[in-house]
Amino acid sequence: MLLKSVEYVRPGSVDEALHLLRSNAGAAPLAGGQSLSNILKHRVASVDVLVDISSLDELREIQRRPDGSIEVGACVTYDELDRSLGVRAGHEIIARVASHIEDSQIRNRGTIGGNCCLSDPTNNLPPLLIALDATMHVRSAGGSRRVPVEEFFKGYFLTALEPGELLTSVEIPALPAGARAGYASLNVAADSKAIVRSAARVKVNEVIEEARVVLARVAPVPIRHRGMEEALVGAAPTAESVRAAADTIGEDLEPVADSHGSSEYRRQMARVVARRAVLEAIGQGGGM
Amino acid sequence: MTEPSTTHAIEVTINGKIYHREVEARQLLVHFIRDTLDLTGTHIGCDTGSCGACSVILNGKLVKSCMLLAPQADGAVIDTVEGLAADGELAPLQESFAAHHGLQCGYCTPGMLMSATYLLRENPTPTAEEVRRGIKGNLCRCTGYVNIVRSILAVAEANRARLTGTSAEGGQQ
Ligand SMILES: Cc1cc2nc3c(=O)[nH]c(=O)nc-3n(C[C@H](O)[C@H](O)[C@H](O)COP(=O)(O)OP(=O)(O)OC[C@H]3O[C@@H](n4cnc5c(N)ncnc54)[C@H](O)[C@@H]3O)c2cc1C
Ligand code: FES
Ligand code: FES
Repeated sequence: MLLKSVEYVRPGSVDEALHLLRSNAGAAPLAGGQSLSNILKHRVASVDVLVDISSLDELREIQRRPDGSIEVGACVTYDELDRSLGVRAGHEIIARVASHIEDSQIRNRGTIGGNCCLSDPTNNLPPLLIALDATMHVRSAGGSRRVPVEEFFKGYFLTALEPGELLTSVEIPALPAGARAGYASLNVAADSKAIVRSAARVKVNEVIEEARVVLARVAPVPIRHRGMEEALVGAAPTAESVRAAADTIGEDLEPVADSHGSSEYRRQMARVVARRAVLEAIGQGGGM
Repeated sequence: MTEPSTTHAIEVTINGKIYHREVEARQLLVHFIRDTLDLTGTHIGCDTGSCGACSVILNGKLVKSCMLLAPQADGAVIDTVEGLAADGELAPLQESFAAHHGLQCGYCTPGMLMSATYLLRENPTPTAEEVRRGIKGNLCRCTGYVNIVRSILAVAEANRARLTGTSAEGGQQ
């Protein structure tokens, strides 16, 4: 397919990339290109200058800190997340979720930064990063800021990033002592688009002490389900209490209906995937 | 490449041969390979990253060449289906596709072969499940996949025999 004419540039540093983004009104970062290429083909967004950030070393590092947290550069690919010993050491679930994104070709190019910055409600990583309480590191030519992950996703294809800003890395804290994570997804086919999905982080100390339960594809952006979280806290870590807590998911949600499921179907399945994600997080199920 | 431009001079090594070309920034890598270099083994099925017919191996990684722009490949080393056969001899994987009816119309075959080549480089002895996951990004409208999986597994079997020292026909991919 022939694209609209566009300029391409491969800056040598993040500073150079930020300068290019600030000085060209129609500039957009190009990361893995696994969504942006199609956006350009379909001409749904007009981009005049593609700033290729995908090979910038500064954005390609994974650092594991002594406190067990990790900082993942925005241009680390899904395949690299899957293979990283630093990620697997304390955040095995990130490697696992990354290893089930679509197919090997897309995993070899697609990046954690692009997966977040697109804010496509079907993308795999945003709900997980919310469950894990990540912090997004953002830079512009004028400075830098940190955005809590829950404030990052603003709507369909909309994030908290301002024009000229780059997501440079994602910081994921260590799982608190006694906490584990879970992830469950109902997909159209194996490793494909989600109909509905859930990610959870649950801390158990005899009873459930803390719970973060995220649902995706029931709203424009992944959301925490406070009702289920509150029902879990203080409950025994058993299948019965998880089921009861999941039953709080209901009329409060108005999921979209599409060819893959009605609103009511998604609501029902949200209960199922949330239950599975939490069961995995309390060590009683397989997840996925 | 450090100044924005609608055209760039790029250097790409494909199947061991170095090419220097001036490309438009908007040109997809698959068109560079097919139209500019006339290497038409790499196919275009969907042009949306869904079918895998355009798969090539770029710097050791399997990618869909319709999902990259030509200037992104500057400096890259690329393997396409044309590079699989050596000295007029088909690669064992290609022989295996012929022997096990791993193709019918052949449209998906170049992409399938590249995905299988990548898979076997990463993991010379995959299980049937791993083979199915390895070709997940490649659609075939003819075979129903069964014979494609068989073709790849036969090479995996030969690799296993070779690696464990037992005799078997065929060999590495
Ligand atoms: C056939 C197909 C199926 C897919 N299925 C799935 C799936 O099931 N699950 C899934 O999660 N994904 C899926 N994807 C999408 C894929 O994961 C993309 O890789 C991802 O959505 C975008 O990441 P990218 O690195 O490719 O970014 P790009 O496509 O390069 O960029 C996406 C957007 O984010 C912006 N951007 C990128 N990086 C940054 C940054 N660091 N700072 C600021 N802005 C940035 C770009 O300007 C662009 O607007 C699929 C893609 C295809 C082609
Ligand atoms: S043509 Fe590239 S994936 Fe179909
Ligand atoms: S052999 Fe015809 S598409 Fe695969």
